[in-house]
Amino acid sequence: MFTASEHPLSPLLKKLGSLTRLSDRDEQAILHLPASPRVFAAGQDLVGEGDRPTRCWLIVEGWVQRYKVLDEGKRQISAFHVAGDMPDLQGLHLSVMDHNLGALTRVTALSVPHEALRELLLRIPELNAPFWRDTLVDAAIFREWVANVGRRPAYQRLAHLFCELYLKQVAVGLARDGRCPMPVTQVDLADATGLTSVHVNRTLRELRRDGLIELRGKRLEIPDWPRLVAAASFNPAYLHLASRPTA
Amino acid sequence: MPRYYFDTCDGDDAISDDEGIDLPDAESARRAAIGVLPDMARDKLPDGDRRIFAVSVRDADGSVVYSATLALTGEWQVQSAGS
Repeated sequence: MFTASEHPLSPLLKKLGSLTRLSDRDEQAILHLPASPRVFAAGQDLVGEGDRPTRCWLIVEGWVQRYKVLDEGKRQISAFHVAGDMPDLQGLHLSVMDHNLGALTRVTALSVPHEALRELLLRIPELNAPFWRDTLVDAAIFREWVANVGRRPAYQRLAHLFCELYLKQVAVGLARDGRCPMPVTQVDLADATGLTSVHVNRTLRELRRDGLIELRGKRLEIPDWPRLVAAASFNPAYLHLASRPTA
Repeated sequence: MPRYYFDTCDGDDAISDDEGIDLPDAESARRAAIGVLPDMARDKLPDGDRRIFAVSVRDADGSVVYSATLALTGEWQVQSAGS
């Protein structure tokens, strides 16, 4: 028996466990998946558009961005992923990657062969539900991003993104007490929110002036969570967390 | 890359930038400065009929290297409307 907390695959248990209840048998079966570690430098792609992956990456440490490159090198980020996320799980069923996954920081990831995942899901059909739920929650987050980028003003848009990224990290034990890693640049925030980096710069300053956030040394501090939630009109329902984490 | 600082005003809030953004050259800073004007306008408009959005760019020495404004001037062309 593995001790769940020391196992390299334990971030996956934390992630799936934040969305649904896993039995001991399910946890042990997941921990027995074959997985080999790899380190990516910041800026390196884990998998690129057009690739035909034969494995999924589980993020163990660091941040990954999901992005597309448009004409003239413009970039749209559609998600940030943290430890416990398996951002290319859809590769199990969609054979060709339609976007890129890139390391935003130095990233340690575990490669899990598609074959092993398929074999696991055939052997324990109950495990299909948590993995399916994980991709459905990702889809819910994309819907929220469409609403955020399409309709919210910049101030609310950035506040909303910070609420989401904080709670996502609380759910897997990476954040608490209103503090969390936030290793994104103003350019990354601009590419994620569809704003120019100068507008992000201006809006961050407004959020700081209003005492809603502090960004220091790649960390985010939220002095007053309820005020940030109110400013962002943030409703965490779309994250579908099994237990509402206390911020 | 040199760092440029962008002071902006949307007609209500003047925000001065003490963090800056690293950009390849002054032309990129000019483009970034012009780009923020429609972003600010989208957030603020519509409200009244007069508003000026402004940005000015400082280099690392504190010299203003570029500035730009975007103005809304709205005016009713019929007598009774809007009154």
